[in-house]
Amino acid sequence: MSENNYYDINLSKTVSENRLLGLWRMMKGYHWLYIGATIALAVATISRTGIYLVLRTFIDDIVIAGNFGRDLVIIILMFIGLALFQGASSFASGWMASKTAESATRRLRNFLFDHLQRLPYAYHAEAKTGDLIARATSDIDAINRFYSDQAIGIGRILLMFIVNFVAILQLNTRLALISVVAIPVIIGVSLFFFRLVSKAYEAYQEQEATLSSRLQESITGIRVVKAFARQGYESYKFDQENWQKFRLGKRLLSIHSLFWPISDIICGAQMLAAFFFGALMALDGEITIGTYMAFASLVIWIIWPMRGLGRLIVQTSTGMVSYNRVAELIKQDREPLTEGEYQAEGAVKGEIVFNHVYFEYEENNPVLKDINFICNPGDVIALLGSTGSGKTTLVNLLPRFYDPISGVVTLDGVDITQYPRKYLRSQIGIVEQEPFLFSRSIRENITYGVHRKVSDDEVVQAAKFAAVHDVIQAFPKGYNTLVGERGVTLSGGQKQRVAIARALLKNPRILILDDSTSSVDTETETQIRSALEHLMQNRTTFIIAHRIQSVMDANLILVFDEGEIVQKGTHQELMQESGMYRDIFDIQTRIEIELEKEISSVNV
Amino acid sequence: MSTFEEFEEKDYGKLNTHIMKRLLSLLIPHWKWVVGFLACIAIVSSLESYTTFLGARIIDAGIIAGSREAIINTVMLYGSLIIIQSAAVFGFIYLVGVLAERVRYDLRKNMFNHLQQLSLSYFSQTPVGWIMARLTSDTERLSDLMTWGILDITWAVINITTAGIFMFIINANLALIVVVMLPILIVIAFRFRTRILYHYRRSRKMNSKITGAFNEGITGVRVIKALSREDDNLEEFADLTDDMYEASFKAAWLSALFLPTVQVISAIGLGIVLWRGGLQVQVGTMTIGGIQAFVSYVTFIMWPIQDLARVYAQMQNAVASAERIFNLIDTEPDVKNRPKTVDTKTIEGDIRFDNVHFFYQKDDPVIKGLTFDVKKGEMVALVGPTGGGKTTIVNLLCRFYEPTQGTISFHGVDYMDMKLKDIQSRIGMVLQTPHLFSGSIRDNIRYGKLNATDEQIEEAAQLAGAHDFIMTFEQGYDQDVGEGGNLLSVGQKQLISIARAILAQPELFIMDEATSSVDTLTEALIQRGMERLMEGRTSFVIAHRLSTIKRADKIIVIEDGHIEEMGNHRELIQKQGKYYNLYTQQFRQELEAQYDIFNKPEPVES
Repeated sequence: MSENNYYDINLSKTVSENRLLGLWRMMKGYHWLYIGATIALAVATISRTGIYLVLRTFIDDIVIAGNFGRDLVIIILMFIGLALFQGASSFASGWMASKTAESATRRLRNFLFDHLQRLPYAYHAEAKTGDLIARATSDIDAINRFYSDQAIGIGRILLMFIVNFVAILQLNTRLALISVVAIPVIIGVSLFFFRLVSKAYEAYQEQEATLSSRLQESITGIRVVKAFARQGYESYKFDQENWQKFRLGKRLLSIHSLFWPISDIICGAQMLAAFFFGALMALDGEITIGTYMAFASLVIWIIWPMRGLGRLIVQTSTGMVSYNRVAELIKQDREPLTEGEYQAEGAVKGEIVFNHVYFEYEENNPVLKDINFICNPGDVIALLGSTGSGKTTLVNLLPRFYDPISGVVTLDGVDITQYPRKYLRSQIGIVEQEPFLFSRSIRENITYGVHRKVSDDEVVQAAKFAAVHDVIQAFPKGYNTLVGERGVTLSGGQKQRVAIARALLKNPRILILDDSTSSVDTETETQIRSALEHLMQNRTTFIIAHRIQSVMDANLILVFDEGEIVQKGTHQELMQESGMYRDIFDIQTRIEIELEKEISSVNV
Repeated sequence: MSTFEEFEEKDYGKLNTHIMKRLLSLLIPHWKWVVGFLACIAIVSSLESYTTFLGARIIDAGIIAGSREAIINTVMLYGSLIIIQSAAVFGFIYLVGVLAERVRYDLRKNMFNHLQQLSLSYFSQTPVGWIMARLTSDTERLSDLMTWGILDITWAVINITTAGIFMFIINANLALIVVVMLPILIVIAFRFRTRILYHYRRSRKMNSKITGAFNEGITGVRVIKALSREDDNLEEFADLTDDMYEASFKAAWLSALFLPTVQVISAIGLGIVLWRGGLQVQVGTMTIGGIQAFVSYVTFIMWPIQDLARVYAQMQNAVASAERIFNLIDTEPDVKNRPKTVDTKTIEGDIRFDNVHFFYQKDDPVIKGLTFDVKKGEMVALVGPTGGGKTTIVNLLCRFYEPTQGTISFHGVDYMDMKLKDIQSRIGMVLQTPHLFSGSIRDNIRYGKLNATDEQIEEAAQLAGAHDFIMTFEQGYDQDVGEGGNLLSVGQKQLISIARAILAQPELFIMDEATSSVDTLTEALIQRGMERLMEGRTSFVIAHRLSTIKRADKIIVIEDGHIEEMGNHRELIQKQGKYYNLYTQQFRQELEAQYDIFNKPEPVES
């Protein structure tokens, strides 16, 4: 799947039940870099050990032997050379490891972002936004840390141990054995403590969250707090949570304040024991003074890093859990956008036929039952019915947000499941009741989804037709005004008109309108209505209607009840027969009569 | 909006004596803890240097001098020092850690209590997220600097100093070489750390943009699909991840370069020390143990230097945090008691708005010259389009805001002469989107009167008409309402907030009616609850329901900050003006809702 330059492999193919294997495969393309990082790390470790061995030669063969000629210079140069080499390879290792980690996570982020927008709508309708975001952000961060800190950190400690142990073994076998006696104890203690720490830390973090929501609640409810003059009480409540956090922090600290000195004592005792026996051996002439000195330094590099091992091992479990959560998401199937048996050219005409269409979200609970109707190009189809009667579901079938479970929807005589989704959607415009606007400028929101350069004139023209130009002009920054949290808040009616402008620019053949204007005042309603009329010209239009006034001119009115079309026809036809439609119409007439009565009763 | 730009955060602050004093004042109440952890870290740090010195003695006095006794004695001493050191480690971690938590606690407490004093206008002009960041991340940063930061600096300085002293004791000439090397190391380290932190913060900023992009990509997925924006979006998103990659990779490889650089420089210094030192052993001015000690001192000097550099880099950010925190604490409430106030036992009586004006910005008046009288016990309905100023009038009435011109008076007394608490504690308020606090239903009702008994709470709920639905919950009054009352419907929340207001026994009652539809039964209950509350009380209602409006003694039509029409229902209908239009539109909508026209219309009987 190299359909773009932003991720070169299909990561869903790398998913594995074995989490370590999965994490390894997710690095694909950077494996050699990561191996390179490990090799460089080994080289750096060996060089550092080499430095101490040079030091041993320096003491034994130069200082003690009193050999201060050219050999001294050579030794010193070797010493500095090794240090340089060690520095260079340790930098190379860090560079390669972070390049791997950052590249792999960048690719993962890009992949996941694209993946999310290409997952079927049905998936999104079920998923929780917060959960998806957590997987896309903090879980990816955790995977990044696994690559850049934890895996390489564990590698570093192990390499340090192996290399230095082998070096001491070369110096003297007995010394080597003496210097690692306490290592299992150190690892055990550190694992034990960091498990405790991670639990205490979790509790501490949870309390942080509690405290934050308490704070947020108090700020958002400030009017209530003030209205009841409950400032003191709020302070009291906040203080309780605040104090609880203090207490949990104290507990976390107590664990830390025990672990570090205890591990200090164990490591210190091990180190001192090694010094002691080493010194006695040197005293007895079993080893040279240089050997002792090298040994005394190497021992430090074996013992002290070990106590960090527990922390790293405990932390990797977060990385693993995060991997699972991300893997679960990326192995979901995308909906193909460009695949389709029928490759249409140019624009569609807009003839739509529903032929025995059924649909259900969950088994045996049909939402649409045997839907049949024909819509000619340019027709206006009105859908009327209560909430949950299937109107929205029906229009969701057109852009293939969902596919029917049986029956066929055809567009210009071709089954819509044979059109590539992308082409199909390019032919359809949707204006929702509360349209979603993106937190960018108004101009960008209007041109959103138009895949070409759009001139300012065109944008203004569309906004004028949508009757929103004046509103936009009134903002200090005009069309460059930001929408959303960081910018202005638009009212429902204004948002709708921006969406109408957006649809006008897109210029689709088929239009889906959610015509609910109940929340706006009369003036705005007239404006929206005229904007809509403009938009509907020469397009096949589906209106989800809530009022009879907006359906009277439709070519076909479909009255829905519990997923079925109970009546269809034009306004005139439906008025002829008894049924839901005429009942609705009667009520509206009756309301007017009642209103008149009400007014006149006042006027008496 | 321009106001947001004011809240864009500055990353760096300059430390000056003023801020320094205020920062130190945070520690003054806990000075014993400070002294404690400073003492502990001083012990730890100097013992670290001393034990390295002892390591040299093992070689010189023990191995080379051939004295087994000296080895044993030195190791024993070393061992006991490790134990003392561990005790001090325990001491400093505990003391400084707990102190850090304590400073956080203090800061949050101070800020929260101060927030409670601030006026409503502060909250309407400050994003919630901004305030939250002061009490969370800024607090963390500041307290870390004032505790762990001070600890690290102390440790590093003592460590370097004592190591220096021991090096001078061993060999002054060689020690001088190290001393020359030190400033170079420190400057390099500081530069590195500042750069690293800069890129790191840049990457965190990109990270929050990426989170925002994910958020939009997920919540707007329907629009994205409908408009086939996938490819463009990915391209835009990839720009973000590119920037993020660039910043975090840079931070990472700079970090990877940092320690090796310090190490190489110290290795060069050490090379010179070894060369000169080796020669000096020959003439007897240097010992082999001394060489060993120098190797250790110089090798491990990178740690204190790294710490110094880290704290130095963090300090700039922490000072910026401090400025923001102090800024919050220093904000004066707009609305506060006047120096001289009269004691009011009651606010009952006639209410008068006399030519009241109000604005946030001078050129953009919100309320323009409002004058009206309300008799004791009257019910006033405020009607008019959204944004016309109804809510502001209510806020003025509660003295959440104060008139910028004109007066509001209760029974003839200008309310600016009264105490805030005397006014606000006598007002009962039911909001349009009622705010409940997480906790049980009982807790929420009790908010109206903190010392109310359970019986009183139930009685209030009965009166409000909330009792019946409360009893349908498994846990009854102990039912949890969720964060902000999320687990309840709007109608239920409103009933509970009515019960809360009833319990408070207010003298003046204010209600903001819900616009969103609630079911007919709940609606009727709310109406009854309101009536109970209004009995014999002066009340103001921002009204949306016809039944409420019609019952009002006085209807005020507010548009664009001034009174458009005023009178009772009959008068205003006959006038056939704005009220008439509002009324007929509302009438249609209510009846449509009432007949529930799209749900199996019942035959209408009229």
